[in-house]
Amino acid sequence: MGIMLSLQEVTKIYPGAEHIKAVDSLSFDLEEGEICTLVGPSGCGKTTAMKMINRLIPITSGKILIDDQNINRMDTIELRRSIGYVIQNIGLFPNMTIAENIATIPKLKGWDHDRIAEKVESLLEIVNLPAEEFMGRYPRELSGGQQQRIGVARGMAADPPIMLMDEPFGAIDPINREHLQDEFLKIQAKVKKTIVFVTHDIDEAIKMGDKICLLKDGKLVQFASPEELLTEPANGFVRDFVGGDRTLKRLNLLTIKTAMNPDPPVIMQNELPEKAKSMLSELKLDHLIVVDNEKRLIGYVDQEALTKKADEVGDIAQSTEAFLPASSSLKDGLSEIFTYELGYLIVVDEDKKVLGTLREEGIKNILRR
Amino acid sequence: MQIRLFYPFIKKCAPFVVTAIIVLLLYKYYGAFKYTSDNLPEFFRLNYEHFFLVIVSMAAAGSVGVFLGIIMTRKGFERFGSAIMAMVNVWQSIPSLGVIALAYGFLPLIGFSGIGVVPALIALFFHAVAPIVRNTYAGVKDVSNDVIESATGMGMTPNQILFKIEIPNALPVIMGGIRTATAIIVGSAPLAFLIGGGGLGFWIFTGIALMDMGILIAGAVPVAIIAMLFDTLLAKLEKIIVSKGIQVKEYQTA
Repeated sequence: MGIMLSLQEVTKIYPGAEHIKAVDSLSFDLEEGEICTLVGPSGCGKTTAMKMINRLIPITSGKILIDDQNINRMDTIELRRSIGYVIQNIGLFPNMTIAENIATIPKLKGWDHDRIAEKVESLLEIVNLPAEEFMGRYPRELSGGQQQRIGVARGMAADPPIMLMDEPFGAIDPINREHLQDEFLKIQAKVKKTIVFVTHDIDEAIKMGDKICLLKDGKLVQFASPEELLTEPANGFVRDFVGGDRTLKRLNLLTIKTAMNPDPPVIMQNELPEKAKSMLSELKLDHLIVVDNEKRLIGYVDQEALTKKADEVGDIAQSTEAFLPASSSLKDGLSEIFTYELGYLIVVDEDKKVLGTLREEGIKNILRR
Repeated sequence: MQIRLFYPFIKKCAPFVVTAIIVLLLYKYYGAFKYTSDNLPEFFRLNYEHFFLVIVSMAAAGSVGVFLGIIMTRKGFERFGSAIMAMVNVWQSIPSLGVIALAYGFLPLIGFSGIGVVPALIALFFHAVAPIVRNTYAGVKDVSNDVIESATGMGMTPNQILFKIEIPNALPVIMGGIRTATAIIVGSAPLAFLIGGGGLGFWIFTGIALMDMGILIAGAVPVAIIAMLFDTLLAKLEKIIVSKGIQVKEYQTA
């Protein structure tokens, strides 16, 4: 994958405020398909930096390259039509239906009717709003979350390789925001746009970004992956901005898979209880995981359960909720460990086949690394 | 139970029915029927003149008013805005009779006749242009900045933004200005008679001069009906041209 967007020594000085550099020789490269979150305290220049990319704000010095082309040499209107733009307050056109809103730029680009209709439908499908129901409705008839999804769909309508998003989920309540973030990441996994995403919320920046660009007073403080930002903050400012709980924040980024002990001892449900007893004493374990012949999780047995009379282990196995798929975040995993009586978590795949166990020590080890 | 089904229909028709009954009673009581039918050709001529005054001055005020209102919102023209606004506001603050009198007195000074249809049209135009300019300006200015910013950021040209976004979204407010202006014009049009502009004012002022209620009513009632007609038509027009996405739901026509 090549470099899609490149900022080189980009500087912005607003007329009338010559002594302040709103953006001060900002440089970074963004590869195709990456999300870069611009984050920092208010007034750090993140929005200014973003708006220079589609020339809503003219650059004072330095240059911005898209696909190796200097944007200052491109026609402004053409440039903007090749960049999706989504803002916090969405700015849907109230006089147009949802379909017309999405079709605005394709229409101006002269796409034919069928191609536009097809695009509108597929985009509505991508953002999870049934086309028949929403196409003919007007923005004011939609909830804030629905409007935001339409905003995202409209931003992607003309197939722009690059999208600029200015706090797109900033005006949404926390529960819906998280939902929209997850949904957006799923969409991004499909469409693979190169995205510049402005936010003031470090948690959102960490969650959404492949790269995080942390700005302060117009200057770049650190440009790094979320993992790197959390483990190796460049200086005290980054450490403060990320927050004292940065180690805990990493729990969100890592999956259970990275910290689990693979292939734990298990017993088939049709074995004799005596075998379970001998395995428990031999391996010095408190519990033994019981599986079926496909290695799918049934439950567990402990010494106490084994005092009951039974022909097969499966009959006395206790079922448990203490399991999660390997792709879940370590944060969820840790929470589950503390929730259930088992004291550890059974890690399964999508078919509920046992892959391993997750224990506190495993999490500690990975966070110290 | 049956009545309920017709309720919306009755509600819609009631104002018209009540007005019609009042009109018929007035006509009958003061003998305006007889005066009108005795002078039918003149009745049609005066109506024609009245319509002509209203429609022509309306069209002029509408096009100039909307144009000025939009110009004032364009980049680089903002500084003319307050000057234009002050001017049209002064024009409107002069009472109708005053505007007519000014036209009569002022036009001869610059070499035009102060008598006839043209001075009447000019007077009506100046009187009605203010609410249209003001509403157009306010309507276009009020289109949300977020909407304009996203349109600009998406790559729409200033003209596309004006015609596809700003004007359509300002239409309800612009139409409000046009309806106000129409009410002013229709209300002031009878005064045109005083400077030889013709119209139904002829019968009204004749009726006043002769203290003949029949002639007065024969002139005044058609004026009122024309006023209602224009307002209803403009409301209907508004419903057609304003996008459903911004129409006020509980909207009531005349």
